Amino acid sequence: MHSPVSDAHNYRANRTEKYLDHSLMPPCQAACPLHMDVRGYVDLVAQGKIMEALQSIRSGNPFPSICAYVCTHPCEDACRRCQVDKPVAIRALKRFAVEFGGDRMVQAEAETTQQEKVAIVGSGPAGMACAYYLRKLGYPATIFEAHSEMGGMLRVGIPQYRLPRQVLDTEVQRLTQMGVEIRLSTKVVSLDLLFDLGYKAIFITIGAHQSLRMGIEGEESPGVIDGATFLREVNLGLKPSLGERVAVVGGGNVAIDAARTAVRLGTKRVNILYRRGRAEMPADPEEVEQALGEGIEILFLVIPTRIKRGNGRLSVTCVRMELGAPDASSRRRPVPIKDSEFNEEFDTLITAIGQAPQTPGGFDVRMGKGSTIQVDPTTLTTNRVGVFAGGDAVTGPATVTEALAAGRLAASRIDDYLQHRYPVAGKAEREKLVGDLLPETIEMIRKISRLEPPILLPEARVKDFEPVELVYDWETATNEARRCLRCGMGAEILFQDKCATCLTCLKVCPYHVPCLDASGTIQIPAEQCQACGICVAECPAKVIVLRKPYDRRSINEELDHILKSAAESKSKPFIVGFCCQYGLFGIGTLANLWRGAKAGVWIVPVLCVAKVEAEQILRAFEMGAEGVFIAGCGEQCSREDTAFWVRQRVEKVRKVLAQVGFETERLQTFFPSTTNEDLAPELDKFAEQIGRLYLASAIMQEVKS
Amino acid sequence: MIVAEQKSLAEIRQMITPYQRVLILGCGTCMTVCNAGGEREVSFLHNALRLAESRSGNGIHTFSEYTVKRQCDYEFLDSLVDKIGDVDAILSLGCGIGVQAIAERLPDLPVLPGVNTSFMGMAEEWGVWDERCAACGDCILAETGGICPITRCTKGILNGPCAGTKNGKCEANKDMDCAWILIYKRLERLGQLDKMRRYYPLRNFRTIPRPRRVASKASIDVGEGNG
Ligand SMILES: Cc1cc2nc3c(=O)[nH]c(=O)nc-3n(C[C@H](O)[C@H](O)[C@H](O)COP(=O)(O)OP(=O)(O)OC[C@H]3O[C@@H](n4cnc5c(N)ncnc54)[C@H](O)[C@@H]3O)c2cc1C
Ligand code: SF4
Repeated sequence: MHSPVSDAHNYRANRTEKYLDHSLMPPCQAACPLHMDVRGYVDLVAQGKIMEALQSIRSGNPFPSICAYVCTHPCEDACRRCQVDKPVAIRALKRFAVEFGGDRMVQAEAETTQQEKVAIVGSGPAGMACAYYLRKLGYPATIFEAHSEMGGMLRVGIPQYRLPRQVLDTEVQRLTQMGVEIRLSTKVVSLDLLFDLGYKAIFITIGAHQSLRMGIEGEESPGVIDGATFLREVNLGLKPSLGERVAVVGGGNVAIDAARTAVRLGTKRVNILYRRGRAEMPADPEEVEQALGEGIEILFLVIPTRIKRGNGRLSVTCVRMELGAPDASSRRRPVPIKDSEFNEEFDTLITAIGQAPQTPGGFDVRMGKGSTIQVDPTTLTTNRVGVFAGGDAVTGPATVTEALAAGRLAASRIDDYLQHRYPVAGKAEREKLVGDLLPETIEMIRKISRLEPPILLPEARVKDFEPVELVYDWETATNEARRCLRCGMGAEILFQDKCATCLTCLKVCPYHVPCLDASGTIQIPAEQCQACGICVAECPAKVIVLRKPYDRRSINEELDHILKSAAESKSKPFIVGFCCQYGLFGIGTLANLWRGAKAGVWIVPVLCVAKVEAEQILRAFEMGAEGVFIAGCGEQCSREDTAFWVRQRVEKVRKVLAQVGFETERLQTFFPSTTNEDLAPELDKFAEQIGRLYLASAIMQEVKS
Repeated sequence: MIVAEQKSLAEIRQMITPYQRVLILGCGTCMTVCNAGGEREVSFLHNALRLAESRSGNGIHTFSEYTVKRQCDYEFLDSLVDKIGDVDAILSLGCGIGVQAIAERLPDLPVLPGVNTSFMGMAEEWGVWDERCAACGDCILAETGGICPITRCTKGILNGPCAGTKNGKCEANKDMDCAWILIYKRLERLGQLDKMRRYYPLRNFRTIPRPRRVASKASIDVGEGNG
């Protein structure tokens, strides 16, 4: 015959609950060119699990430290928290994870298992990523770089105050460690030569370095320089003399970078001339803000029309613009205002109105619009057999992550090609979460302001090229990470046929998410659910699960685990605490209780105490706990209802305790009212009380027998 | 819907004393809806009983759990047959109907009621249920604006309100609405106040001859042919 315990266990194990991950792909992940598991690592940061967060990040991104500094974070633009207040500061959280998780220490390794050599032309992010993944796949890879240093635009474009060169150097070093052969100062002019050298496949990632011309009179004058060249010179160690007053023409990131670099070189007055308004500026708003803070003036709706050089200065004729009808890019087209011309004197004028790739004729590849290289978007193949291309050279000026994604894709396509495999479409993708939050849902979501990482004060920034943005401290990072809405993780009815349509979920949901459809069936719209788990723990038919059942399953597993350890330790009496993993237990005042720091207190970490079910509390008592407590994160919780539901379940259990002759004080809840409230003394008091009750009942037993 | 309340743990423990192996049987319909005997309550009770056993130190019982969609029809109980092999008794968390259905379907097995079947009613809010219908067998809701004086008036009178109504509440319980005031207001809204002015003759409150039976099928004699 079975013991009662194993019976219950069999029962649980045999339940047909599918341990499948039904979670939907959140918009952040869908927006990321690398499809990083943003929701996953942000949640790990929220729990203070920094190493695990870094591990998750590294599994999706070859150079996370670089992205942590410069990524344009399309994920944040897609973040649905935008609809509530402001997006989660994902890039800054990644920066925190890589710095505190120790990304610098990670060793990259690779083994050569294939013979076919692959040549990579260009050492920008696309080339580096391709080399990284080719090495992981076991191919010998050689990078050819025209410049004297590795990194492409990461080296010669992006200024050091936004990407410290040590970060880039570490990655380059890791590539060398992995066995990537690097040929610097080697400009490739013919692909045939590479094939002759024995390379079986070539990946072209030459970027887009040729600045576009404005096409105005006097553009050739000395004192006029293009942004890409200017930044390259500065980044390669030259110190161009710019004079007192500099104008930068353009409204993109390159223009802002050039202007801020000019300030750092000691220029007294820097003006940006941009032909549209602030709202239309393609540059990152944060960086525009920082530029303004550094004293850069932006003249909006202004365009230079003529440059005249005289007396060692430039006299620039400008005209004012107004915005007309929207153009092809759906931005309003600027049109000159009649008779609005004016002259300004500058020492230097930097043009930054865009770049295009410059492909050597000897490559013999088919070109498309804007001098870009034409490829098949799924295979990245060019018109030449064995020649692949990606990155800015194909897309025109884009972003680092897009280049990384192209490099990764190229590596697997080159692998397909060399192994004579038909390129398989990417593995079946998770269904995407689509749809906006309803106003009713938004209203119920707690507003929490976005926490920005600290940045240096403008006076300190402009002195040199030191990084402007600092890292979060531990507490700020976890609090920021907790703002994530966990889109796509929400509840679903797993067994519709068992649903009694009792409407409990409708009544308990803090966000009014579940609804009845016209046929009288409960629907839990995935795009509204906040994955709090309250209905999961309350559903009388037990048919609701979270799309990622991980949370609840792990409560049972952790509970079993600690009950076993507690029984083995034989220390009596023992106390079981269900603690919120986010606040108190993750990094807060209870963090030191992790696995028995306090003798006899055993912690079950839970991702929100609202998920703790009454049955689990009873089970702790049944297995010998003399006391049980539940500690939530209190005021910090994403929702106000947590304490209410925990207390409901506690009262229900207390009723049972009273009937089996247990004092109800043996079950306690702790909800600190402030973040810093130290629960340790209260917990000590509780432990003492349990000790006394235990002693008293032990004496009673003695007396009885 | 039928509303019930779980019996106290003490009473349940008393009931199961003679039996060693007990199957706790939930009901997936009304008892799930009123939170008295659905799958969650089954496993909560299971845990509570095991805790009680382990506390008493001389536990002899073993428990198993199972929930059927509805206990009050034999067809749903068929799936039980292979679950009861080594069971000494069934502790049913179904309403009184369910318990009896089990008794009829499984004539050799003791069945014990785990809940007190209380009334027919509906949820007032989460976790609160109110009585609505007494199943009197002679419905007069058409006359009373859809509000039942038999269940909702403490005295069950047909020609209310009585003198005990005060500020819309009942003299027997100041928190409870006077059913007859509710009826008045509703009839007023419907423009049917004339119904208030009528006198309803006393009803026959003699015990209803039981058990009652309702048939919705016509009784047709076999062999009557085309009608
Ligand atoms: C000033 C500036 C700031 C930027 N800021 C950001 C930012 O903050 N965030 C972001 O995501 N993106 C930013 N970008 C864009 C980003 O840097 C590029 O999209 C990305 O570097 C493109 O990568 P890639 O590998 O395709 O090309 P590149 O990085 O341009 O690398 C191409 C490399 O190929 C080499 N090469 C070219 N021709 C040959 C040849 N014939 N033989 C050998 N080598 C050759 C080049 O020297 C270069 O090193 C910025 C760009 C600039 C210019
Ligand atoms: S998990 Fe929470 S937010 Fe989602 S439906 Fe259930 S109660 Fe509502």
